[in-house]
Amino acid sequence: MLVIALCKGRFLEPSLDLLMQAGIRFPEDVASSRKLIFNSDDQRFRAVLVKPADVATYVEYGAADAGIAGRDVVLESRADVLQPLDLKFGYCKIAVAGVDGTGEGKSGEKDSKPTIRVATKYPHITMDYYNARGIPVEIIPLSGSIELAPLIGLADRIVDLVETGRTLKDNGLEIVEVITDSSARLLINRAGYQTKRDEVLRLIQALEKVIR
Amino acid sequence: MKSYAQTPPGTQIVIGRAARRRRALERTICSVFEGWSYEEIIPPIFDYYDVFVKGMGTGPEEQIYRFIDREGNILALRPEFTSLVAKTVATRLASSQKPIRLYYSGEVLRFEKPKGGRQREFAQIGIEHYGASGKTADVEILLVAVETLQRLGIQAFQINLGSVDFFGGIVDRMELPADRIAELKEVLNVKDRSGLEALLERLPLGDRRKKILRAVPHLTGGKAVIAEARELVRNPRSVEALDHLEEIYSIFQSLDLAQHLTIDLGEIRGFDYYSGILFRAYVRDLGFEVASGGRYDGLPGAFGEDLPAVGFSFSVDRLEQIVTPEISEIEAASIAVDDGFDKALQLRRSGKAVRLCL
Repeated sequence: MLVIALCKGRFLEPSLDLLMQAGIRFPEDVASSRKLIFNSDDQRFRAVLVKPADVATYVEYGAADAGIAGRDVVLESRADVLQPLDLKFGYCKIAVAGVDGTGEGKSGEKDSKPTIRVATKYPHITMDYYNARGIPVEIIPLSGSIELAPLIGLADRIVDLVETGRTLKDNGLEIVEVITDSSARLLINRAGYQTKRDEVLRLIQALEKVIR
Repeated sequence: MKSYAQTPPGTQIVIGRAARRRRALERTICSVFEGWSYEEIIPPIFDYYDVFVKGMGTGPEEQIYRFIDREGNILALRPEFTSLVAKTVATRLASSQKPIRLYYSGEVLRFEKPKGGRQREFAQIGIEHYGASGKTADVEILLVAVETLQRLGIQAFQINLGSVDFFGGIVDRMELPADRIAELKEVLNVKDRSGLEALLERLPLGDRRKKILRAVPHLTGGKAVIAEARELVRNPRSVEALDHLEEIYSIFQSLDLAQHLTIDLGEIRGFDYYSGILFRAYVRDLGFEVASGGRYDGLPGAFGEDLPAVGFSFSVDRLEQIVTPEISEIEAASIAVDDGFDKALQLRRSGKAVRLCL
């Protein structure tokens, strides 16, 4: 039996839909129940429901053989997992945004502040981005309402998920630069890819057929 | 009041049955190594920092615990054994008869996130074979790995065998700048197809080369994979790597061990020092590899003596998660102190265990 870690929240419905189209059916009450473990109707798969940020960890440790999570949280977790498929839903961008010009912090900028303060839920992605550009930053880790930070002087910039860009616009913020695109990914544990090859490859192929 | 219950993150204290199990596990492994004529080497717990930097290359150096001695030398707690062994072989054992077979067992320290049952201080146990290039030494160490796993009672294991030369031969020809190669390795390493496609769009490569790169992450399986790879590459470095892997696979087939061997040409991780075959051992239902190794012909040369070298190490802490060695209870005679210490000494002289009751 293969264990698949799924995100609670907005990714759950599309993940279950996709699995159903690939012939992997879970009971109908998965989304509404308080249970966290479900077996597929044919007993070949087991779904475990975890927080989005934890999916990659479950897969990295092999507690789950596979998982479905956004590329953003996988990058941020720095988990060492295989990511063979882009599942083509949950599209968004991770972007640097700010009230135009505050703090500057573009590459090659001599006159910007000595240290840019950046508020974010993604400290690792943010640090990698600024390191690659040689810009010194102070990262201010927040867990929500990131857009608020530059408006009340907590930070010069934010690094956050942008879906439509409306939240930014409504708060008078602009995208400075898109760091990377994100969408749902299929994650596979490295050891399981070797020791459960047939089952894992069958899962990958079944999902690949659906997204094509 | 300060609590002394915790040890610093990444360290742990092993006692009682757990300690006895660990020693039993280590003894089993060492007996296999000794059975293949490997001799123990006991290197120091610290050495000069640059020894390890030479060995591990750039990148992992931030994981090394460093300190400065009273004379101002930069020293480091050993983060791995291979550099220490290679240095010894290239200097003190330079004029010894080859091949040289050595094994080590002990703790190494790396400043990294503790995970998968591996702390910052963790136990490694492995072998090194110096002075022989070619398939015979490669096969020998693979067989030692196989026998060790079997002797530990593990049935469902897979050894994934690849070669740095297969992928090396492909990228040599592409003449890409180092940062592009790093990006390429990053997407191939996680088998990220869409990431690879996005990168290929930006790389100035012809269709044939793109086709090769698209195929690399999926070149995993039995002997058929080698045939499939032959259709793709023509450069001598990659072709030789394929010949070499095919020979090893055939030997495994003739020994009826091929069911444990998987050819994996998409595996491109590892320290900079690897130069030929590269392998990892996986056990069913454990999320991390239990052993890894390969060939590192360039390493002894870094210490002044060019010698071919191949080896691997087991992660004891990970093996402990799937193997529970049998330990026998120690039966000790209880001696009341009133009986006199001479009674205890008598029993000890006859080889019996005693426990003094105070």
